[in-house]
Amino acid sequence: MAAHLSYGRVNLNVLREAVRRELREFLDKCAGSKAIVWDEYLTGPFGLIAQYSLLKEHEVEKMFTLKGNRLPAADVKNIIFFVRPRLELMDIIAENVLSEDRRGPARDFHILFVPRRSLLCEQRLKDLGVLGSFIHREEYSLDLIPFDGDLLSMESESAFKECYLEGDQTSLYHAAKGLMTLQALYGTIPQIFGKGECARQVANMMIRMKREFTGSQNSIFPVFDNLLLLDRNVDLLTPLATQLTYEGLIDEIYGIQNSYVKLPPEKFAPKKQGDGGKDLPTEAKKLQLNSAEELYAEIRDKNFNAVGSVLSKKAKVISAAFEERHNAKTVGEIKQFVSQLPHMQAARGSLANHTSIAELIKDVTISGTTLASTMMAPRGTSEDFFDKLTVEQEFMSGIDTDKVNNYIEDCIAQKHPLIKVLRLVCLQSVCNSGLKQKVLDYYKREILQTYGYEHILTLHNLEKAGLLKPQPGGRNNYPTIRKTLRLWMDDVNEQNPTDISYVYSGYAPLSVRLAQLLSRPGWRSIEEVLRILPGPHFEERQPLPTGLQKKRQPGENRVTLIFFLGGVTFAEIAALRFLSQLEDGGTEYVIATTKLMNGTSWIEALMERPF
Amino acid sequence: MWETWLWAWCPKESQKADEYLREIQELGQLTQAVQQCIEAAGHEHQPDMQKSLLRVGLEGRAGQGWEGGGMDSWGSSLCCPLALLRRLPLETSIPMRVRRVLTARGDGEQGKYRYKQLTIQVLLDRYGKPRAGATLPPLSTPSHSLLYPLAIQICEYLRLPEVQGVSRILAHWACYKVQQKDVSDEDVARAINQKLGDTPGVSYSDIAARAYGCGRTELAIKLLEYEPRSGEQVPLLLKMKRSKLALSKAIESGDTDLVFTVLLHLKNELNRGDFFMTLRNQPMALSLYRQFCKHQELETLKDLYNQDDNHQELGSFHIRASYAAEERIEGRVAALQTAADAFYKAKNEFAAKATEDQMRLLRLQRRLEDELGGQFLDLSLHDTATTLILGGHNKRAEQLARDFRIPDKRLWWLKLTALADLEDWEELEKFSKSKKSPIGYLPFVEICMKQHNKYEAKKYASRVGPEQKVKALLLVGDVAQAADVAIEHRNEAELSLVLSHCTGATDGATADKIQRARAQAQKK
Repeated sequence: MAAHLSYGRVNLNVLREAVRRELREFLDKCAGSKAIVWDEYLTGPFGLIAQYSLLKEHEVEKMFTLKGNRLPAADVKNIIFFVRPRLELMDIIAENVLSEDRRGPARDFHILFVPRRSLLCEQRLKDLGVLGSFIHREEYSLDLIPFDGDLLSMESESAFKECYLEGDQTSLYHAAKGLMTLQALYGTIPQIFGKGECARQVANMMIRMKREFTGSQNSIFPVFDNLLLLDRNVDLLTPLATQLTYEGLIDEIYGIQNSYVKLPPEKFAPKKQGDGGKDLPTEAKKLQLNSAEELYAEIRDKNFNAVGSVLSKKAKVISAAFEERHNAKTVGEIKQFVSQLPHMQAARGSLANHTSIAELIKDVTISGTTLASTMMAPRGTSEDFFDKLTVEQEFMSGIDTDKVNNYIEDCIAQKHPLIKVLRLVCLQSVCNSGLKQKVLDYYKREILQTYGYEHILTLHNLEKAGLLKPQPGGRNNYPTIRKTLRLWMDDVNEQNPTDISYVYSGYAPLSVRLAQLLSRPGWRSIEEVLRILPGPHFEERQPLPTGLQKKRQPGENRVTLIFFLGGVTFAEIAALRFLSQLEDGGTEYVIATTKLMNGTSWIEALMERPF
Repeated sequence: MWETWLWAWCPKESQKADEYLREIQELGQLTQAVQQCIEAAGHEHQPDMQKSLLRVGLEGRAGQGWEGGGMDSWGSSLCCPLALLRRLPLETSIPMRVRRVLTARGDGEQGKYRYKQLTIQVLLDRYGKPRAGATLPPLSTPSHSLLYPLAIQICEYLRLPEVQGVSRILAHWACYKVQQKDVSDEDVARAINQKLGDTPGVSYSDIAARAYGCGRTELAIKLLEYEPRSGEQVPLLLKMKRSKLALSKAIESGDTDLVFTVLLHLKNELNRGDFFMTLRNQPMALSLYRQFCKHQELETLKDLYNQDDNHQELGSFHIRASYAAEERIEGRVAALQTAADAFYKAKNEFAAKATEDQMRLLRLQRRLEDELGGQFLDLSLHDTATTLILGGHNKRAEQLARDFRIPDKRLWWLKLTALADLEDWEELEKFSKSKKSPIGYLPFVEICMKQHNKYEAKKYASRVGPEQKVKALLLVGDVAQAADVAIEHRNEAELSLVLSHCTGATDGATADKIQRARAQAQKK
């Protein structure tokens, strides 16, 4: 069921099994039939850990969403609240418990805090007079959730905002805890590198926590050679740019949530002749996207322009395989053909799905090719996509970043989605180390007049996060950073990439470049740029007993766990996978993050709507 | 037989004893003999006799034929006392303690052999841990403090894991140490830390709790400095009423829940002024508390910003308040005025001016609703102007644009979009001729095509500047003319754009023309 988690260099199924075991143990503590009341946000991440069948095996008979007033009727012995430790949720729980019908059969209440038990919340429950009603109050340390064979996420959507805007480091603490869990399962990580304030703090917490655990010496042979902690605010640029990998574009256009995507159903309608397209499905098509699907694993990280040729090649291979049936003459041959049928049919289904998705994306991204389509939608979405991309690429390569941009101006005037405008303005600001005061004020004024004055709060948030700012002292550092780190590559090869810049068709993500340079030749070569980028950079060693020290075989790659504090995009993940697969790369990456995100969801989380 | 051996033993007759020993061994009773020797020693009250018995036991163990494996088969219960005995300095009063140790669980006839069950840990605890109510002599006597190193040796000899062995002894020792009232806090703390270091399994907070129990709060605090687990450290500090110290420890840990807990504690303990002052010195705690207030105590949040003269945040606070609390327009404007004042104080002139504009707009929108009816409140300035045009109030829209200095370009887009939405083609044409368009004429073409009005679109296509001419012509479907313009421009990109718009059936001639032009261009 989760076999794809064990395909990578590090078997992440071990982690999944560990958290599943912990869940089972808790459920078994509450003997008898149960109903779970869910903090709705948790259901998505939990789905990656345990399906309903696991819960059912442990006598979970009903599931509800946490909301005010009385609990729905359920003939069960136990009511268990699965919640994040948030005060507002405690109030709702208290309401549920207090309005419990006293005449009804007595039920046992329990709370499972995810990922951590909170004294503050328990105090609130106490103040509300219900703390005593709970038999078990426990924590379920689900910090890092395995998403794929090389990918872990905390799925904490507000982590960036909390860390960089509100000075709340809760998610950093959870990150450190999650890293301790990983080390308990996969051995102590001997070397820690980091860049940024938050990275420094997480490393400090880890070292501190290690002291707390001195009693139990970790005797597991270390799987990871290095840990690289990276602050998102070291690289504010990358998420703002539009991702151009297949997976990245799916996420940009439709949004991938907990590895699922919901797509417009039209293109997925079963093709039947004579149906006249009467019964088009109306419900969105929901697909799970991960490496368990062979074809998806092959194309997800490719530049979208290279996906088409793979799909058509695959189509030929599959139809050729089906043609084989004509050649199957003997009983044995037929038998063999039939035995391969399920696999072939799955491949054909998968191909059909991705061909449909690619068409959907093409409609949005590739400029109108026929006159008819242009006639129907002058200046259609695809043309606009191209214009937007052009502007982004100009900014990233350092062209005209210091003056008001016509395209952005037009977008505002035509009231394009605000998030799109904000992404572009922020991108320009970041690519110019801040905007000239006059330019900044002009954009801000245009945005407030067009979209409403309430967005002054959002603009303020973006400024606080450093995404939008006046250029300090008229100095633009971006060209230095761009040149030293080779962030812009003119000769990008989208089909057979030779450099990570293929994921943005020219721009090499800064964050991944830092990782690449760390592994070879080391950060000492880029000291100057590291000083320009915000926050300290550092290195820590965690000494290992001699018995656990690794003797690397010649040609054996190192394994680096790279942790993005504040979120990571699919394009960055693709770039890291590209580096992992390089033959002489020397390093394979496992990626962890507080949240899988894109520029839109990122800006969205920073927006504030007062009404 | 072994009894004979036992009783025959005395220093002068050791040779005889050896003989007995061999006999016992032959009978396969050695194990039993040693066991009983030790037990007897345990029951013996006279030190001399005790010594003798123990020596016999030891000799029996050390003597011929005592298989190493036997230790294991005896289990920890016996192996432990034996190991212990081997190293005991018999000249001291220790046998007395050994007796107590061995008989601790074996009082009375029934418990004869029960020392077997005595686990190592219990033994060590008895040995090392000064327990209240225990019948042990006062531990402050020098002789007993000597026992700790011995106990540690025992642990090492038995190869006990640190957590079960050495750590426990050290912890017991430390607890004994904190009761040495004649030694200064500093010295005790230092001595304890020197011995314990980071020994796994040692709980400094347990030791500190004992120190606190003995009334030595200062010592307890010093000891807590060495406690790495803030979850243990902080609650004890709170119990000892050292909340401020607890706060900085909680902050160090990074555990925000712990910080919150201390904060709420402090809030109840201190008066408001002191509480705020404490926060002021702890930025991390302050930001956490602000977040708490944002959701729980809005008024306190305002006070916090005021205390810090954080006018920027105060401004934002009042902006939020203008939406949240106030229904009436006067109330909203008043809240915005407060916000604008705060922004001025924050030297954020942009925000102040924007907020004043917003106040102006709100008042205007109210007036528009009164005079024209319809919904204006809380529309953006842009949408207000659009609504006015859609309602046919062009004059008012223009006045609005002037009052708020809407840039020309955006105003043109705005009018163009609104008029096209109305499909008021006449007004649109008039507008297009009112002066030279600051946005060019391609948007006019586009917007007409969007409304599927090719006729109107063509009017504007002819006015599009040379740079966008090809695009405009293609939009209105005039491929042939587009080709002519592109050829005239000798622009390769434009040529291929036109070519991509050529459909085989109708534009064959055009396509050929382009190909010829291309070929010619290449010749040159």
